[in-house]
Amino acid sequence: MRFFLIICFCVAYNMQAIGQEYDFLIKGAYLIDAKNDIRDTMDVAVSDGKIVSVSKNIPVILAKKVIEASGLILSPGLIDPHTHVFVGSKSKTFADGFYSVSPDDFTFRSGITTVVDAGTSGWRNFETFKTNVIDASKTRVLAFLNISGTGMSGDSTQENLSDMDAKKAYETLKLYSDILVGIKIGHYTGTDWLPFENALQASGKAGKPLLVECHLPEYSLADQLNKMRPGDIITHSFEEIDERLPIIDSEGRLHPFVKAAYERGINFDVGHGGAGFWFSQAIPAYQQGLVPNSFGTDLHRFSMNSGMKNMLNVMSKFINIGMRVEEVIEKASWKTAQAIHRPDLGHLSEGAVADLTLLKLHEGDFGFIDAGKNKIEGKYKLETELTMKDGKVVYDLNGLAANKYH
Amino acid sequence: MPLFKQFFLQYFRYTSRINPFPFVKQLLTSHSLPMPLPYLLNKSFTIFLLSSLLICFSGNAQDIDLLLKGGHVIDPKNGISETIDIGITGKNIVKIAKNIPENTAKKTIDLKGYYVTPGLIDMHVHVFNGADTESYIANALTSLPPDGFTFRSGVTTVVDAGSSGWRNFRQFKAQTIDKSQTRVLALLNIVGTGMYGRLEEQDVTDMNPTMTANMITKMFPDILVGIKSAHYWGDFTQVDLAVEAGKLAEVPVMVDFGEHQPTNSIEALFMKHLRPGDIFTHTFSYGPNNRETIVDEDLKVKPFVFEAQKRGIKFDVGHGGGAFSFRQAVPAIQQGFLPDVISSDLHSQSMNSGFKDMANLLSKFMNMGLTMEEVVLRATWNPAQVINRKDLGHLDVGTEADIAIFTLRKGDFGFLDIRKTKIDGDKRLETEMTIRAGRVVWDLNGLSVPYWESEFK
Repeated sequence: MRFFLIICFCVAYNMQAIGQEYDFLIKGAYLIDAKNDIRDTMDVAVSDGKIVSVSKNIPVILAKKVIEASGLILSPGLIDPHTHVFVGSKSKTFADGFYSVSPDDFTFRSGITTVVDAGTSGWRNFETFKTNVIDASKTRVLAFLNISGTGMSGDSTQENLSDMDAKKAYETLKLYSDILVGIKIGHYTGTDWLPFENALQASGKAGKPLLVECHLPEYSLADQLNKMRPGDIITHSFEEIDERLPIIDSEGRLHPFVKAAYERGINFDVGHGGAGFWFSQAIPAYQQGLVPNSFGTDLHRFSMNSGMKNMLNVMSKFINIGMRVEEVIEKASWKTAQAIHRPDLGHLSEGAVADLTLLKLHEGDFGFIDAGKNKIEGKYKLETELTMKDGKVVYDLNGLAANKYH
Repeated sequence: MPLFKQFFLQYFRYTSRINPFPFVKQLLTSHSLPMPLPYLLNKSFTIFLLSSLLICFSGNAQDIDLLLKGGHVIDPKNGISETIDIGITGKNIVKIAKNIPENTAKKTIDLKGYYVTPGLIDMHVHVFNGADTESYIANALTSLPPDGFTFRSGVTTVVDAGSSGWRNFRQFKAQTIDKSQTRVLALLNIVGTGMYGRLEEQDVTDMNPTMTANMITKMFPDILVGIKSAHYWGDFTQVDLAVEAGKLAEVPVMVDFGEHQPTNSIEALFMKHLRPGDIFTHTFSYGPNNRETIVDEDLKVKPFVFEAQKRGIKFDVGHGGGAFSFRQAVPAIQQGFLPDVISSDLHSQSMNSGFKDMANLLSKFMNMGLTMEEVVLRATWNPAQVINRKDLGHLDVGTEADIAIFTLRKGDFGFLDIRKTKIDGDKRLETEMTIRAGRVVWDLNGLSVPYWESEFK
């Protein structure tokens, strides 16, 4: 009898020990993990901030906390490659200013765990950005460094040629190589190609991509695309304003040189923003084979409440335009991680950081607005159920990871 | 067409000086028509005149810019909870009536199936956003710029709860209040430096009732609606100084009484130190070592809490990241104790917690048993009265058109408190559209815009 009790105790003790193996077990979700070529129902276990197991039917007894996720999509934490988050108190400007927004206010609630700031800072003020925002945020904040020394400061220094220093930019890129993913050029109204050449040079030397925004009115689109290398990124792809030639001509045709650039490996980011996304561009472009490579929101003060709203809303637009849900999610996670040369992100391999999100694909009658205040109807819309960053639940809409009150 | 219209407008203006609508009058006053009807119709000029008359009438009558049609309107101040139409012109509500004709409006939005309420007032937020990394809430990242949270949850007015004091309020105003689309009002902290840090908030020598009252009454009476007392570790000194300032400025005081070890008596606070009209926030907080709770360990509401509410103490939710627990709220509601105001305590530590946004918070209370009318009252007309801003929180004709439009989603939802416990729920409000001063500032599904193909028509 005593022996039996000891056995029971040992079994119970071991069960308990086994039961503490995983911090979280996410059970029954449909996993989309492009890197590992998984589009299937899988269980995922998380411990100490890392993915520790991905397989069918992991026993619930092994986990301290089970998150029942049948009917939901499990995606690697989404990556928004185009945001402006160098928030500060300076009025009428993005760099250290009120036009930027705090990342945590918008990220976790739309399934994002990593944002990339699109050149709001330059080599002169990157460290302020790092101290004030990057180090103080729960969201992983990466950044493109503006070739302009003061970033998007909104004043004349933004256009100062001598401040667009390829060497300084490269040195900063090297010094903060864990945060800085490339160089950005935008907001230059001159005709001199020096800023563009410097931006190409600094990013090329560091082996990182160049992000090209559209506020470069004196450069032709064809010239810009010609100078760009495979892997470089053009954003505001579906913009229809005077500042840059739209990719769709007045007859509704995709310019052949744009298609050629796309096929040559230039990445086309959405960069939705307040003015950067038009159905009259996106729908014909999609129909003619130009599918965006990433879903940058261009999040800032003037886009947040517009047709943009959040990254899932932007992704949902493309689902309703015709993209498959799997493709949209793969591009918003692994493909974006690859585009910014961060292969450690955007997948749920065993050993990877436990950044993930559970999404619900709602069916119903939805509407989506573009920058011209026109809309499309749609049947599908993604909503965030739960977001985990570094193995911690950072957003939980309906309490999937919570205990019942009683 | 415009020229044509203009011509006939002038023609009728001219003729009306002599005899308004001579032709029509003749038609109406004669028992028999002046000429046989077929003859009349044959007269092409007459038809021309008649049709122009119609055009002029419809042109003149389109005096509503935006007509919200067919929504279920809940306006607690006016006791409205029914299908009724709202007309907006410029910044203001100009008409509220059943069946306002569409041809009287330049633009109509069909709101059948949606709920329409006054723009919500979130009476407890922290929005003194800034880049002082040494500071806690004043001019700091813990505070949030309001516009990213308000419109998407139906809120049009927020009240900052003491992030600034009289020394730094003007910076707050220049930096955030003047730059926001959301209407930002504020309670001024009794501490001169506001919520710079816990240590500074203990400085009794910086709690100046006269300067606090002067700032409110002499400088910014349109923005500053009350006083905040918070985070004090000592006795009743801070509350008493705040009330002294409140008497000088004739405004209410809001108290966060959560950091006393051992706890201070809330019965004494309600019955002796506060005045009727003063506000107790974080009503359903459960942190019994720091703040005396309103519900005891046997889950009974303490009798003096009902007495206090009768006396006129206003109970504010102030959900926050640490101040709302079901073990307080559920028993309290079951025993008939309802908060006077439902508010968020929005800041960076609360935004992604059990609190999500105001629409979610109102839904939480609906799933605890309150009706939609009851929750809307507590986020519109009730807070407007508490802060003495009776121009807000209702849909009276003549007021600024701050309006929220919700979908009531049915399904299986969950709602969290800050203790990571949850309740199930079957309904959730989703913000469909928000209008601030007559302008659409949030439109989730594009109710207010045309289809994209219209660009090519």
